[in-house]
Amino acid sequence: MRSPFRPYTLPDASVLAAHKSLIRSLERRGLIRGGLSLGALVMLTGCDVERPESVESALLAISRFNDRVQAWLFDPNRLAPTYPESMILRPPKFNAYYDVTEVKPVDGTSWRLDVAGLVAEKRAWTLPDLQALPQRSMVIQHICVEGWSYIGGWTGVPLRTFLERCGADLRAKYVSFKTADDYPSSIDMATALHPQTLLALKYGDETLADPFGYPVRLRMATKLGYKNPKWITAIEVTNTYPGGFWESKGFPWFAGL
Amino acid sequence: MVCRLMRRGSLLRASLGLCVLAIGVGPAAAQSPTPGGMPPPPGMSLAQSAAMRFPQPVRVGDLLGRQVLQPVESQNVLGRVRQVVREPDGRLMVIVAFGGLFGWGARPIAVPVDAMVLLGQDMEIVAFTPDELRRFPTFAAAGTHVVPDDTIIRVGLAKPSH
Repeated sequence: MRSPFRPYTLPDASVLAAHKSLIRSLERRGLIRGGLSLGALVMLTGCDVERPESVESALLAISRFNDRVQAWLFDPNRLAPTYPESMILRPPKFNAYYDVTEVKPVDGTSWRLDVAGLVAEKRAWTLPDLQALPQRSMVIQHICVEGWSYIGGWTGVPLRTFLERCGADLRAKYVSFKTADDYPSSIDMATALHPQTLLALKYGDETLADPFGYPVRLRMATKLGYKNPKWITAIEVTNTYPGGFWESKGFPWFAGL
Repeated sequence: MVCRLMRRGSLLRASLGLCVLAIGVGPAAAQSPTPGGMPPPPGMSLAQSAAMRFPQPVRVGDLLGRQVLQPVESQNVLGRVRQVVREPDGRLMVIVAFGGLFGWGARPIAVPVDAMVLLGQDMEIVAFTPDELRRFPTFAAAGTHVVPDDTIIRVGLAKPSH
C-alpha cells in the first residue's frame, strides 16, 4: 500500500548529492548522544549505585550553591501560610529514620536541655523552665521531602525568645541540635529567629506524645520536614558548619520551602 | 515492519522504565534503613503488637472515608474505612470497603483495629496481606454495635513504607 504521507511529486535525487557536505554536518545523532549523556548524569543524582567521586562532589557543590541562593532569597519577616484549627490532623503523621516500634520515650522529669556554644548563659533547662517562657501557637503545613504533607497545630517557645533568654550571639551563623534518637540537625540563624520557628511542647493543645518528640522538638513553617528534629537534648550556637543526619547523606542543608 | 515497530516499542518501554527509575530512586534513598508497617513478629498477638506501635487517641468520625493502604513502597490502595463497630466479644473492628475498582464492586470486611495503623491522613493494614484479606468473609452487621463518631479510640502508628 502506498503511504498516505508520501508526496505526489518527489524532489530530484540530485539535490542530495548537491548538499552532501551540509547534510553530513547536521549531526542530529550527535545531538541525541549528547542529550543522552546529560540524561545519564541527571539519573546519577538519585542513584545509590557506585559513582565517580568527581560526579558526587560536583553535585554537592551545586547543592551548596542552591543552599546559598535559598538563604539569600529567605525573607526573615515573611510568614508561611497558616490554617484554621479545624484542619489540624489529630494525631499527626509519624515519621523517623526508623519505625515507630523503635521509638525510645524520653522521661520528661529527668530530661534536661543543654545549651552550649556562643551563649552568655550555658546551663541546663528543665521542662518547667521552658513551660514558663512565653508560648506561641501556629497551625502550619508539615511538608516532607518524600512528597506527603499534613496540617498540624503546634505550641511552644519561639526559638528566638529562647536564644535571647540564653544570651546567644544572634550574629552567629548556625544553631545546631542534638537529640535523644541520635538525629543531629542544624539550621541557619535567620530561620532560627523567624517568628514561625518554635521549640514545640504541645500538639493540638495537648502535651506532645512520645512518638512526636516529647518533651521538646523543633517545628519550623519555613523548612522541609526532615529539618525538624524531635526529642531535642542540646542546642549549640556556632559559626562552624554542624551538618545533620540526612545532610551528611547528601540531602540539601537549607531545605527551605 | 512489524518487527521494527516491536523493537521501537520495547525501546520506548525501556526508556520509560529508566525515567521512572530516575524519579523513583531519589525519594527512596531518602528513607530509613528500617521499613515501616512491618507485620507483627510471629507468635505475637495483634493486641501485643498494636501496643508496641504507640497507640494514639483518634476520633472515630475522623477515620471514616480514609484510604486504607498496603504497607509496601507502592502504597497500593486496599479500600476505604466505612465504619467502626464493636463485636459482641468487645473487639473493635474497622469495616473496610475492600477491593473493587475505584470503590466500585468493593465489599465490606471487618479488620481488627489492632491489625491497622494510622499513617497521617490514611490507614494501613499491617497484620494481613491482600491475599488473606481477600479470604475474609463479607461483613455481616448482626450482633455488632456501630461505634459513634465522637468516640475516641486508640490506634497504633507506623512510618511510611517507602
